[in-house]
Amino acid sequence: MSFLDRFKKAIGRTTSQDPFVADLIEALSAERVHFDATQRFLHSHDASVFDEGNAGPVCFPITTQEVQEIMQIAQQYSRPVVARGAGTGLAGGAIPLGEPAVIAMTKMNKILEIDIDNRVAWVEPGVINLDLSIHLQQYGYHFAPDPSSQQVCTIGGNVANNSGGPHCLAYGVTDAHVLALEVILPDGEMAVIGGLEPEPEGLDLRGAFIGSEGTLGITTKIGVRITKTPPDVRTLLLSFSSMRDAAQTVSAVIAAGIVPAAMEVMDQRITNAVESFVGAGYPIDAAAVLLVEVEGLIDGTEIEASHIREIGFKHGATNIRVADSEQERELLWKGRKTAFGAIAQIAPDYYLHDTVVPRSSLADVLEKIDEVAERYELIVMNVFHAGDGNLHPLLLFDAREEGMLEKVHAAGAEIMRISLDAGGVLSGEHGIGIEKQAYMNELFTDEDLNHQNRLRYAFDPDCRSNPGKVLPAGHSCADIQALKKVPEGIWG
Amino acid sequence: MVDLKIGIEELNTCVQCGLCLPHCPTFRITGEEAMSPRGRIRLMQEIQMNDRPITKEAVDSFDTCIQCRGCEPACPSGVPYGSLIEQTKSTLVEKKYLLPKWQQIPFFFLTRPRLLRFFTRLLVVAKKIHLLPNRFAMPENIPIWDKPLRESGNDVYLFTGCVMDAWQRETHRSSKRVLEHLGFGVTPTGDRIPCCGALHDHAGLMQSAKDISQKVIRSLSENELPILVDSAGCGAALKEYGHLLGTDEANRFSARVFDIHEWVAEHLDVLQSPAKLPISVIVQDPCHLRHVQESHEAVRLVLEPFVETLIDLNDDGLCCGAGGAFSLFQPALASQARERKVAGIRAQSHDVVASANPGCMLHLQQVGVNIKHPMEIIDEALSRGIQI
Amino acid sequence: MGVVDHKNPDPVLNDFAYEVGPTQPIAIAGNRTCWELSGTLNSGTTVISAPSGIVDYRPEEMIVTVRAGTTIKDLDECLAVHKQRTSLPDRGGTVGGAIAVGHNDLQRLGKGSVRDAVLRLRYISSEGQIITCGGPVVKNVTGFNLHKLMVGSFGTIGLIAEATLRTNPIPPAQSWVKTMIDPKLVFDKLLRPSAILWDGQTTWVHLEGHLPDITAQKKTLGKFGTLDEVAHGPELPANRWSLPPADLYQLDTSDIGNFVASIGVGTVWADLPQKKGPPDKGKLIIENRLKQQFDPENRLSPGRKVGNWS
Repeated sequence: MSFLDRFKKAIGRTTSQDPFVADLIEALSAERVHFDATQRFLHSHDASVFDEGNAGPVCFPITTQEVQEIMQIAQQYSRPVVARGAGTGLAGGAIPLGEPAVIAMTKMNKILEIDIDNRVAWVEPGVINLDLSIHLQQYGYHFAPDPSSQQVCTIGGNVANNSGGPHCLAYGVTDAHVLALEVILPDGEMAVIGGLEPEPEGLDLRGAFIGSEGTLGITTKIGVRITKTPPDVRTLLLSFSSMRDAAQTVSAVIAAGIVPAAMEVMDQRITNAVESFVGAGYPIDAAAVLLVEVEGLIDGTEIEASHIREIGFKHGATNIRVADSEQERELLWKGRKTAFGAIAQIAPDYYLHDTVVPRSSLADVLEKIDEVAERYELIVMNVFHAGDGNLHPLLLFDAREEGMLEKVHAAGAEIMRISLDAGGVLSGEHGIGIEKQAYMNELFTDEDLNHQNRLRYAFDPDCRSNPGKVLPAGHSCADIQALKKVPEGIWG
Repeated sequence: MVDLKIGIEELNTCVQCGLCLPHCPTFRITGEEAMSPRGRIRLMQEIQMNDRPITKEAVDSFDTCIQCRGCEPACPSGVPYGSLIEQTKSTLVEKKYLLPKWQQIPFFFLTRPRLLRFFTRLLVVAKKIHLLPNRFAMPENIPIWDKPLRESGNDVYLFTGCVMDAWQRETHRSSKRVLEHLGFGVTPTGDRIPCCGALHDHAGLMQSAKDISQKVIRSLSENELPILVDSAGCGAALKEYGHLLGTDEANRFSARVFDIHEWVAEHLDVLQSPAKLPISVIVQDPCHLRHVQESHEAVRLVLEPFVETLIDLNDDGLCCGAGGAFSLFQPALASQARERKVAGIRAQSHDVVASANPGCMLHLQQVGVNIKHPMEIIDEALSRGIQI
Repeated sequence: MGVVDHKNPDPVLNDFAYEVGPTQPIAIAGNRTCWELSGTLNSGTTVISAPSGIVDYRPEEMIVTVRAGTTIKDLDECLAVHKQRTSLPDRGGTVGGAIAVGHNDLQRLGKGSVRDAVLRLRYISSEGQIITCGGPVVKNVTGFNLHKLMVGSFGTIGLIAEATLRTNPIPPAQSWVKTMIDPKLVFDKLLRPSAILWDGQTTWVHLEGHLPDITAQKKTLGKFGTLDEVAHGPELPANRWSLPPADLYQLDTSDIGNFVASIGVGTVWADLPQKKGPPDKGKLIIENRLKQQFDPENRLSPGRKVGNWS
C-alpha cells in the first residue's frame, strides 16, 4: 500500500463499504482499483452488440503476483472474476456477469524477452498483437496470428479466444503459435503449462487453456512462437462479376494444391464502404473481390501467383491486379482489416456474425444467407476468410427501430443453422461468449457438453472465472451459483 | 440531467469497435478505458441519451483528453471525435463542471498581445530566479525586448499568433526569410490578429473561440491573400473556422489558410539543387498537422532537399503530450506521453528533431531534446549560401 | 446441398462404444509401436483394437475423417492419390496410436505438428459413451478444446475412436542433403526447411517446395560449405528426448550418448533415455483433477502415466 493510500485510510477516506474492494485496494493500490459507477459502467461491455453486464470493482494489476492476490481475494470472498484485454471481443466474452471483479490486463503490457534461438517471444498478456510484430521486424520475424483487430487487441485476448486472422490459412491460429503459458488458476495457484520443448511432458493443458475464453484462469505470461518473415510476398486482387465465381475460385485454388497465406473475399457493398475509407483502389463495380496473398521464396511465389491468375481467369475473374509496392499492399490490407468499422457509414448498428462452413459450400451458403436477409428485410454484407470457409455476414440495422433487434437475432439464428446444416461450426474466431451459448446444443450432444464442463471443472471447480459463458445454462457447473447477485446497494 | 448538445447521429457513428484505442496517447499510457476515445464516446452517449449523471470520474475522463485527434484518422466509421469532445467540454465549462473562473484567466491574456508580452517578461524574470515550477514550459532565451516583425510585401500573410509571437518570434523570422527566399513579400499579422482561439476552443471556451474567429475573419477579409501558418495548432484551428462557425464566409476564409510547409512544398521548384546540411533530422509530426490538417508529408517534402537524412518515428504519429495548455493542466499525463515519444527519439541516432508546432517544441525542449522548427532548419541551410 | 447431422456419428462407433462398455479396465492397442512408452498396463486390462477405415475424405476441403484403427500407411496411400498428406508420422502405427502418443514426424518443421492436425476427435469415455470434441472444419473456436487434451494422453482420459484431420498438399519437390555446415547457421539461413538433423558433426537438411526454391535454398547454403545429395537422413537412435531448441547446440554426450538432434524443433534421438525434471505443482493439481473428472475409476489404460497422477 502506498503512502497516499495509508494516508487516505488514516483520515477515514476509505473508499468502499465492501471489504472485498478494500482488500483489493490493499493488494494493488487505490489508483488501480476503481469501483465508481462510471468506471464500472465502462467495463460492463465489450465491442459486441449484447446488453451490458454488471461489473464489480475494476482492477488493473501490473504484476503476476498482483493477479494472484486478486484471485486469492476473490476466492476468499467467493466472488467471480473476469479478465479483460482491449475489449474488442464480438461475442460478449468479456461482458461481466454477476458483478465480478474485472481484471483489466492492459497495464501488463511489456515485451519481456525475444529469444531468437528458441524462436520464442515472452510477453505479458496486455501487449498489443501488432506492437509485437512491429517490435519483431528488426529481427526479421513476426507473430503470425493477425486478427483484423490486431492493431488494438491484446495477446492475452488472442489466447483466450484462440484468435485467427487472414493469415491463419497457411500459418494456423493462435493455438499453433503459443508455446507456453504462465497461468493463475481461479484459486490463486500458479501453473506453467506448455513449454519450449516440442513435446512437453504430461497432458496438453496449454491446448485446452487456449480458446477457453477466460473460464479456466488468467494468463500472466505468454511464450509465443515467432515466425521468420518470408522474403517475398505477392498480393493479388481478383474482381468477379458474381459471388459464386469468387467462391468457386477459392475452392479451385485449394483443390490445385496451393495453400496461400491468405484468401479473403469482400462483396460489393463492403468494398464500396472500405474504398471510401482507405482509397486503396478497390474496384467498386465488382460483385465480389478476392484478395489472395502468397509468400515465400521468390520463385515459388511467382509460380503460385501465376497459377492463381490462371485459376482466377478460368473461373470468371474480370480483372486481376497485383500489388506493385509494399505501400499498395498495406493499403489493400488496411481496407480489409478496417472493413467492419467502416460499416457505420451505412447504418448505425451492425451485427457481425462468425460461422465456418466447408469451403466447397461457400457459394450455396452465401445465397441462402442472402435469402434470409431478404426475408427479414435486412441489409447483409459479406467479408470473410474464404480460404478457411470462415464467414462473417454483417447484418446492418438501426437499433432505434422498434422490434429491430429481435429481427436481427432471429436472422442470425437462421444463418447459424444454415452453416451447421452445411457441415460447419458455430464460430471460427469470435468464440461463443454469451452470443452462441444457446446454440451449443445443436453441434454437441448433452454428453459432449458434459465432458467440456468436466474440463472447465478441473481448472475452476467453483466456476468463478468468467461465469455464465461458453457452455449453455444447465451444462455449466456452478455458474448459476456464481451469478447470484451481490447484495443490493453495496456500491451505493 | 445534462444535455451535452451533441448530435445523436454523430454519437451513433461510433460502433465501439475499439480501433482507436492504440492511437490515443492517454490510453497508451494508462491502458484504461476511461482514458480512451471509445470510453469517452460511450460516456457521452450515456449522458446524452440515457441521462447518466455526470460524475467526477466522467469529468476526469473528458478532461484528460489531449484533443490530439489521433483517433480520427484511425476511425473507419469517421466519427467526428474532435467536434464531439469540444462540444462536450464546452457544455461542461458552461455547467461549471470544468475550468472554474480563475483557471480561465490565462486565456484572457492570449487575445491581449501587449499584456501577454508584459507578463512574458515577468515570467522570464520569475523563471530566472526559479519562482516557476519546472513543468512550466517556456523557452530559455526569450529576449526582454524584441522588435516586431516588419512587413516585406503583399503576397502572403504570415499568421503570427499569440504565445508563439511572444515566445518564439525567431521561428517566425525564419519562416519569413524562407518565404522571402522563395520570392514572396510577407505581411505578418502581428498584433492586428493576436490569437486564433484554438486554445480557447480546446479548453471548452467555445463562445470565446467563436468571437475570436469572427474577429480574425473580419480583420483578414480586406483582400484574398493566402494566409500561411507556421504553427500546426493555429493552422488547424483556422482551417476549421468553417466548421466552427458554419458560415459561407468562414468556409471561404478557411480555404485561404495553408500550413507554411504546404505552401513552400508547392513553390520549392524555384530552388536549384541546394547543398544539403550534413545533419540527420527526425521528423516529429504535430498532431494537428498530421491528424487534423493531414499535411505532415509536406514537412518531409520541404526538408528533404536541405538535409542529409530524414528519419521517421515508428509510432503512427502518437501525441507527445503537449496539447496546447494540456501540459499545464495535466502535467503527469503530459510527461508520460512525452517519455514515450522521447524514448522513440533517443532510440534513433540523430542531430536534431524537426517539429512544426510551437507547443510540441516547448514540451520536448523541456527534457533536453534538441528540437527546431523545420523553417529554422531550412533558413539555416539557405543562410549558409545555398544556391537559389 | 444435404443437411449434415453433427450428432449422429458412424454406426461402427456405436459398436465400438458397446465393446468398450462402462466397467472393466480397458485399453486400445494399435500396432504397439510405442507400447511401453508411458508405463506398463496393469494386468487384467482388456486390450481391444479400434475400428479402422476412412470415413470421409474431401481433398478440396483438405480434411479427412478416419477411424482410429486405420494404419497411417493406409491413410497416406489414400491421401497420396490427391497429392496430400497429414502431419502424422508413419512409424508403422495407427492413426489413433499416433494421436494418443502425440509424437511429431521427423519433418516437424515442414509437415507441422500432430496436435495442430487434429480438428475433431470422437472418443469413448470411461462411461462407454461416444464423445465428440472439436469440429469438422479447418478453423473452429466452438467450445473447449478437449481434442487438444487428447493428443499425447495415451488413452488415459478417453479412448480415441475416430479423428478428423487437416491434410496438406505434398510439396512438388523434395531433397535431402548432407553437409558439415554449422546447424545453427543452416537454420538461420533457410526460410522453411522441412527438417534439419545434426549428430554433433554432420548436418542433414531436408528441403521441400517448388523446385526452383529448393535450388535457391541450396545455393544459399552452398556459400557456407559443400553439400552432398543423399537419399535419406541418418539412422536414429532409440530414445526420444524433448528439449528447448536452443539447448540442442550444447548437448553433453556423457548424458546422452550418440544422438541425432532435430534443429529448430528440440527433439533428440539418443542412445540414453531422458531424465525427467520435477513436475510443475500447479500443472500436477490440474492433471490429477482431470483424471478424476474423466476417469474417476481409473479404468482407461490403467498403469499408464501421462500426467503426474499415480
